[in-house]
This record gives sequence, structure tokens and C-alpha cells, in this order.
Amino acid sequence: MRETKKELKFFTIPAYRKEEEYLSKMHAKGWRLTRVSWPCVYHFEKCEPENVSYRLDYNQEGVAHKNEYVQMFADCGWEYLFDFVGYSYFRKVAGEGQENEEIFCDDASRLEMMRRVFKGRVTPLIVIFFCMILPQLSMNAFGYGGGSRAQDVIALCFVALAALYLVLFSAFAVQFYQYEKNLDITDNKYKAKYVGVAALMIFFVVFIGSVFWLSR
Amino acid sequence: MDAHIKKVYVPMTETGFYILLCLQEPNHGYGVVQKVKDLTNDAICLAPGTMYGSLSKMEKDGLITFLREEEKRKIYQITNLGREVLELEGKRIERLYGNMKEMMS
Repeated sequence: MRETKKELKFFTIPAYRKEEEYLSKMHAKGWRLTRVSWPCVYHFEKCEPENVSYRLDYNQEGVAHKNEYVQMFADCGWEYLFDFVGYSYFRKVAGEGQENEEIFCDDASRLEMMRRVFKGRVTPLIVIFFCMILPQLSMNAFGYGGGSRAQDVIALCFVALAALYLVLFSAFAVQFYQYEKNLDITDNKYKAKYVGVAALMIFFVVFIGSVFWLSR
Repeated sequence: MDAHIKKVYVPMTETGFYILLCLQEPNHGYGVVQKVKDLTNDAICLAPGTMYGSLSKMEKDGLITFLREEEKRKIYQITNLGREVLELEGKRIERLYGNMKEMMS
């Protein structure tokens, strides 16, 4: 029986780059990924430390035609691991002079993948945001059907939820923008911008929430 | 050829160009990867995520067509529309190359 371990780690939807880096680092430390389970638990087993590239793809068509999809990657030397919430996980031992091999070789296809992630993962979030969170937030903040203390608490919860959503949206928007402009994500200048946009969004939601609340 | 195809594929990516070029004969994705490696002396190594995405997109847009499956690999071939796009792109590159020769000599 091999030694195993679990780690709970959250990555925002578009941060698959960070996730890949994390998995490679774990493998270099002698922990091989075996599976990911709900909500974001990474399962590892002990192995020889090795320089391995991990890559994530998001391709619903590939998941639907698993055989040929996996075969294409296998032919190019990538081991298919599993799918988790739409993402397919691949890994490849980094050979001499082949560190950081990519599964995408041009920006057009990298952007195309971002688009697929956006369609598959972010669009449902936007629908939930506008059809559920915003209406609930305003109804509770206005105190429809009584205006009890409990409703204030619920309204606050929805403000927090709305803020969380907006942070996710802005994170995605900023990353998408960076991909499109082909910018370096690790650049601190853009990190500052990203935090700025997120803070602005939170401020906006809290402001709207308190206007609703005070105007009753 | 409708405007949408022209807008999306002219000018096209290097990946797209090599896929169409190689699929003048029936081949599967990995076959194209190997052929491009040979043609370019290992300078261009097409990656699987890019290949899979491009092939399914081109199939959807009618530039290539699926012939049959062999050992879990889909064999594709270029269509008439694909040839038209390839020719158009070829002319663009020819002009580019001609202008370069002119201006740099």
C-alpha cells in the first residue's frame, strides 16, 4: 500500500495555469496526482520525484468522443488521467530539453480554449447571477413580505454571494483580456489591476446593497 | 465561399495551413503532426490540444470531411471548400513572399 495524501486547494475557474504549476510542483516533490474529488480535493500518492508537466484541456467535444480524443494525446506522448468538472487532465514526463511542453502550440487555440471555458463554465454562472442572486438580493433588501431581521441577514448573505460572483467574473475578464493581448500573467502590474477591478466590484455591490437597504 | 469562412480562415494560422496542406491526402491528426515535423525539419511541432480543436472546427465548417476511423484515429480529407481556402491562402502567402523578395533585394 502506497502512502497517500489529500490536499484541499481552490483555483478560480480560469486559473488552470496555476493548477498545472501546482500539480507539477507536487510531482517534483514526489507526489503523483491520482484523482480530484468534490469540491476541490487533490489526491496524491507517493512516487519518485520527477519532472512532469501537467496540462488541462477543456473540450466538451473531446469528452464526448473520449476514444479518439485520448488517442490523439496518447500519440503525442501525453498520459490521460481523468476528467473533472469538464476539464481533462494530462501529464507527460519532461524529457531532455523538453521542459514545459504545451498541449497548445498557438495563441489562437489557447484563446479558443478560454472561449470554451467561458461558454461551459462562466455562462451558467452569469445566468444564476442575474436570474437568482440579483432578484433575491433586491427582494430581501427591500423587505418584501415583512422585512424581518432574518431577511436583513439573508440580504447580507446575498450581497456577499453577489460580491463573490463579481470577483469571479472580474478574475475571468482580466485573464481573458490578458490572453487576448498576449500579456504575461505573472506581471505584478497586471496583478495590481486585477485586485483593483475586484475591489471596485465589491465596493459596487456593497454600495447597491446598502442603497437598497437604506431606501426602505 | 461565404464571408464568415473567409473572415475566420483568411489569413489562417500556421497550424490551420499545415492541416489543410497535409489533408490533401487522407490522414489522421497524428499523421499530420508527423508530416509537418518532417516538412519543417522538426521546427514545427503541432500540439494535440491545438490539433484536436482545429480538426473539429474545420470539420464543422466543412473545410475537411471525416472519412473513417482506424484504431481510434479519425481519418480526414480536405473538401472542395477547404481547397478553395487553401488556394486563397496560398495566393496571399505568394504575394507576401513576392513583396518581401522585392523589398529586401
